[in-house]
Amino acid sequence: MATKEPLLKVEHLSKEFPAESGMLMSRFAKKVSAVNDVSFEIYPGETLGLVGESGCGKSTTGRSIMRLTRPTAGHVYFEGRDVAKMSHKELKSLRREMQFIFQDPYASLNPRMTIGEIISEPLQIHGDGRTASERNKYVRELLDVVGLNPEHINRYPHEFSGGQRQRIGIARAFALHPKLIICDEPVSALDVSIQAQVLNLLKDLQKQFGTAYLFIAHDLSVVQHISDRVAVMYLGKIVELSDWKTLYAEPQHPYTQSLLSAAPIPDPDIQKSRSRIILAGDPPSPIDPPSGCRFHTRCPIAQGVCSEQQPEFREVEPGHFCACHFAAPFPIKESSIEL
Amino acid sequence: MAKHDKNYVDLKEQPIPEGSHLLEVDNLKMYFHTQDGVVHAVDGVSYTLDRGETLVVVGESGSGKSVTHMTIMGLIEMPPGKIEGGDIRYRGRSILEMTEDEMQHVRGNDIAMIFQDPMTSLNPVYKIGRQVGEGLRLHRGYSKQEALKRATELLDLVGIPEPEKRVNEYPHQFSGGMRQRVMIAMALACDPDILIADEPTTALDVTIQAQIIELMQKMQEENGNAIIMITHDLGVVADMADKIMVMYAGRPVEFGTAEEIFYDPRHPYTWGLIRSIPDHGMDEKKELTPIAGNPPSLVNLPTGCPFAPRCPYAVDICHEKLPEHITTETGHYSACHFADDPAFLEFAPENSRTRADLAARKAAGQGASSEKKEA
Repeated sequence: MATKEPLLKVEHLSKEFPAESGMLMSRFAKKVSAVNDVSFEIYPGETLGLVGESGCGKSTTGRSIMRLTRPTAGHVYFEGRDVAKMSHKELKSLRREMQFIFQDPYASLNPRMTIGEIISEPLQIHGDGRTASERNKYVRELLDVVGLNPEHINRYPHEFSGGQRQRIGIARAFALHPKLIICDEPVSALDVSIQAQVLNLLKDLQKQFGTAYLFIAHDLSVVQHISDRVAVMYLGKIVELSDWKTLYAEPQHPYTQSLLSAAPIPDPDIQKSRSRIILAGDPPSPIDPPSGCRFHTRCPIAQGVCSEQQPEFREVEPGHFCACHFAAPFPIKESSIEL
Repeated sequence: MAKHDKNYVDLKEQPIPEGSHLLEVDNLKMYFHTQDGVVHAVDGVSYTLDRGETLVVVGESGSGKSVTHMTIMGLIEMPPGKIEGGDIRYRGRSILEMTEDEMQHVRGNDIAMIFQDPMTSLNPVYKIGRQVGEGLRLHRGYSKQEALKRATELLDLVGIPEPEKRVNEYPHQFSGGMRQRVMIAMALACDPDILIADEPTTALDVTIQAQIIELMQKMQEENGNAIIMITHDLGVVADMADKIMVMYAGRPVEFGTAEEIFYDPRHPYTWGLIRSIPDHGMDEKKELTPIAGNPPSLVNLPTGCPFAPRCPYAVDICHEKLPEHITTETGHYSACHFADDPAFLEFAPENSRTRADLAARKAAGQGASSEKKEA
């Protein structure tokens, strides 16, 4: 994979939002640092999982890549072109290649449009050159591919269940055969049994069309299941990035370790016997993030240096990146830190 | 209101009659009469619960798990809701026969509830202290100052830092996890017998979820209350459940101890739920086996077993006859025609115990064969 050119290259991406509105003091106003100096790459056909708790900036990262929101600093290169600097015309052609699947299958479909209209809208906008009847045929095919009845092409979104609506959203995203799809929590609003259906569908479609995914979710087991590589975010920063197996078997960042140990395992024997780190408190506010390592206020092994110096996002093993002064395999114990 | 009635005796102070349990739900049926027809939301739910026990109710949205427990709390609007049969007995007394005044006293005092969404279940215009102390003022006749003092203690108990300052704040000043802690403090204020938690951690992040579950367990150890935990996620409950009830289409389809449900599940729906959860093993990824199709409409339930249309093992009888509960000696039951057929149970998903067994048998087999070779 290292020999391939990355499809998407994110370099030092940052996004700040003004925390208070106001004209006079706007220059001195507080800023929410939602995403801070984030870098990663996505290769053609792979799935990069992005996990983190709510408010850690994972959705903002996804939206900045699509330029649904303009990044404050940094670059997003899609096939070598900088998304952050694109004109509207260029953006339109970009979105042909890059599509989005939203979390909420209820809010992301227009209730006044039939699902046929919803799915063919991207085709119309991007002028696929099909005639109306060809388009209708193609939409029916798409419905079949995502496991919906093509006969239902003239129905409205409210006639479908949550899982079916998410399938409609998926059909819409795949209509133009994009190279990259950003999936923002696509299964978190669904029941467990339906979740598995949608995950399998996403995997099948990826196999069929060779699409790359940026898969954003807070559920670690879902991300583990679908991803080739996984990045963990905390308070606007990527703290660890590695292939999924290494990340889950040998996490080196204390945050990843505590996330993994907090995630429940549906097996009482294992659940009762394993050692767990339960983090205290809530994530701090991104308006005034902690100095040094942003995790130090909740970190079970934090030392003096952690509050003073920002840890470098370094390669601890080939292909395994971690931003911690004391990165080490689980469990990191205070006693094992050499000062 | 009950607080004015000095002769009123707390139900939870009264002994549980001989042969009864703390809570007995007996063939409860709650239907909704709507324009589209009769919705069979709860259709024959039975279980018993004792102090100190944790019952977990698992099911997908629309399986009737929430409606069952809203009925216990008397929170279902009737009409359109109507109880079509069955009974709920709390300490031997029928909840369904209580007057609204009596029910008012039970709610919050004897049986308390935590809701899924901590954002919408707190009143945004009242200070936290007033909301936490409200039950104490109502049920215990506390004065304003006493209630506020106790609310502060309760906030401290559920792990909210600087409780003296926080009681005077409003809900929007609290994070999601902190609001859920407030909800727990509020629910535990009157030291209830039964705490019903309806998806208490679904809206929260994993690290916060772990904190909340730990807190509920700690509180249970101290107070000895029973917990009914409603969830759609089997994983969340693995280490806290004593008993598990799996619901589907308004009916319990399997009931047993956590041991039984996780290591000897006997209903294809339970199997489906287990198979739908991504494997936590570190080996190669396995395909997920989702449950095909969607849950049935509760207005037009299929004849026969309600799960039959989605069940990969369904045969003719499943589509014709509603299965009875097939119960083992330990009280573990499954509403499947084939639950006592050993050959059928071979289809059950693997778990860590069967895998360990298999590995041990393999190792033993290999050992034996290599010994043979040496000989």
